[in-house]
Amino acid sequence: MRLLEHESKRILEKYRIALPVGRLVGQGEPLTIDGPVMLKAQIPIGGRGKAGGILAATQAEEARQKVSHLLKSNIRGYIPKAVYMEEKKAVKQEFFMGITYDTVAKAPVAIFSAEGGVDIEELAQRKPALVRKEHFTVHSRLPLHRAREIVAEAGVSGKLLLGLSVALATIAEVFLDYDATVVEVNPLALMDDGRLVALDCHLEIDDDAVPRHADIAAMEKDTGRVEGERRMSDFERLAFNIDNLDHRGVAGRVIEFDGNLGLIIGGGGASLTAFDAIRAHGGRPANYCEVGGNPSVLKVKELTRLILSKPGVDKIAVIMNVVSNTRVDMMARGIVKGILESGKNPAQTVAVFRVPGAWEEEGHKILSKYGVPIQDRTVSIDEAARIAVTNTH
Amino acid sequence: MSSPSEFIVVEVDMAACAGLARCGGCVRVCPVSIFQKSGDKPAVVEKNLDECILCERCLQSCGPEAITIRKLYEA
Ligand code: SF4
Ligand code: SF4
Repeated sequence: MRLLEHESKRILEKYRIALPVGRLVGQGEPLTIDGPVMLKAQIPIGGRGKAGGILAATQAEEARQKVSHLLKSNIRGYIPKAVYMEEKKAVKQEFFMGITYDTVAKAPVAIFSAEGGVDIEELAQRKPALVRKEHFTVHSRLPLHRAREIVAEAGVSGKLLLGLSVALATIAEVFLDYDATVVEVNPLALMDDGRLVALDCHLEIDDDAVPRHADIAAMEKDTGRVEGERRMSDFERLAFNIDNLDHRGVAGRVIEFDGNLGLIIGGGGASLTAFDAIRAHGGRPANYCEVGGNPSVLKVKELTRLILSKPGVDKIAVIMNVVSNTRVDMMARGIVKGILESGKNPAQTVAVFRVPGAWEEEGHKILSKYGVPIQDRTVSIDEAARIAVTNTH
Repeated sequence: MSSPSEFIVVEVDMAACAGLARCGGCVRVCPVSIFQKSGDKPAVVEKNLDECILCERCLQSCGPEAITIRKLYEA
């Protein structure tokens, strides 16, 4: 989940990172300003400056008109629900600092550059020497002395070195405390008056961690914060809740479609393959989903019930890759029980069951009892999809 | 008999069970909480039965062999 700039800044504020004086303004609000201001559209996407989402004003009337203009503009696919107005002060120097997760090294990485306000990826390509990157671990975090080394190696010294290192170590704390996937302060500015101030902030929280943070979960539920964004449908939210019933595996990450064939699919990318194959064979999926990591019988059962509760959906295709980390018998139990609790007959409801892997024989015994035909690993995902589509018509 | 689980029945022969004070093995080892304390004896938590992973740890921990697990999908 990507936070809006003003939401991100409230979190930085909690961690005592200095910010320009600012406030949110809505449509038609009377404005008084005492000096030049920046007016920033609050949308959950980068590149708003270039897209006309950040404007400057020096007079109150000018600011009011520009706020009104921004609130009507479509900026990179979003119509802002609010504008953040901040004091505009003279800047002496800009820096870049960010923390993200390096999926190749499988560790968080701190990134710092003494050239801020730029596209960091482009800078890293053009002048890699100017971008310092340093991995750290979740366990040892990013202590101040390591942050200081990173900033010093980027050529910063003196009082500035101390201030920037504290800021870098602090955003690493935000990253870890909030289960973030990205914290980027670009630029962190040295103002003419000597203050170090975060002029912009981009903060993204791992979607799976949102329920762990009451403040973020409240933002996520606020339907008024973003317009234009594709929001979870009620069906998807119910599925999301099912996935949160316990911490075992995944069964409930769902995207809703308007077809008639319910899908319970997964296994290391196989969900996409299966979904595409179903469509290629002329099937109309009622949903996309990802199941894996040995979910509990309860979650699979509830997901099955939810999918079958959609009007017009009376068949379910269960297709997974060969899975060593998901028990086929537990999947079979969940599917069968979900169908029975929906008042349906498993033999007539399962369009295909193709889940080869751990405890496969036990799974087949369960399905046989309910008359459900089983496809083993000799049947490809594509063939399983074809069978499902044939059985659905 | 209609079972709380479609798939698994777990029974404890209370007369044979050594009691929780002396044993309590099943309550301790089951990874999906199918046994809970009930006085000095274990009680089967019916709502969790579907989650039995057939690991047999309970059977192995039970000296008097008081526990039986049946799969309802096997004739
Ligand atoms: S077999 Fe394993 S999961 Fe099942 S009741 Fe015994 S200990 Fe629990
Ligand atoms: S393991 Fe057997 S003897 Fe021990 S408490 Fe459980 S049922 Fe009783």
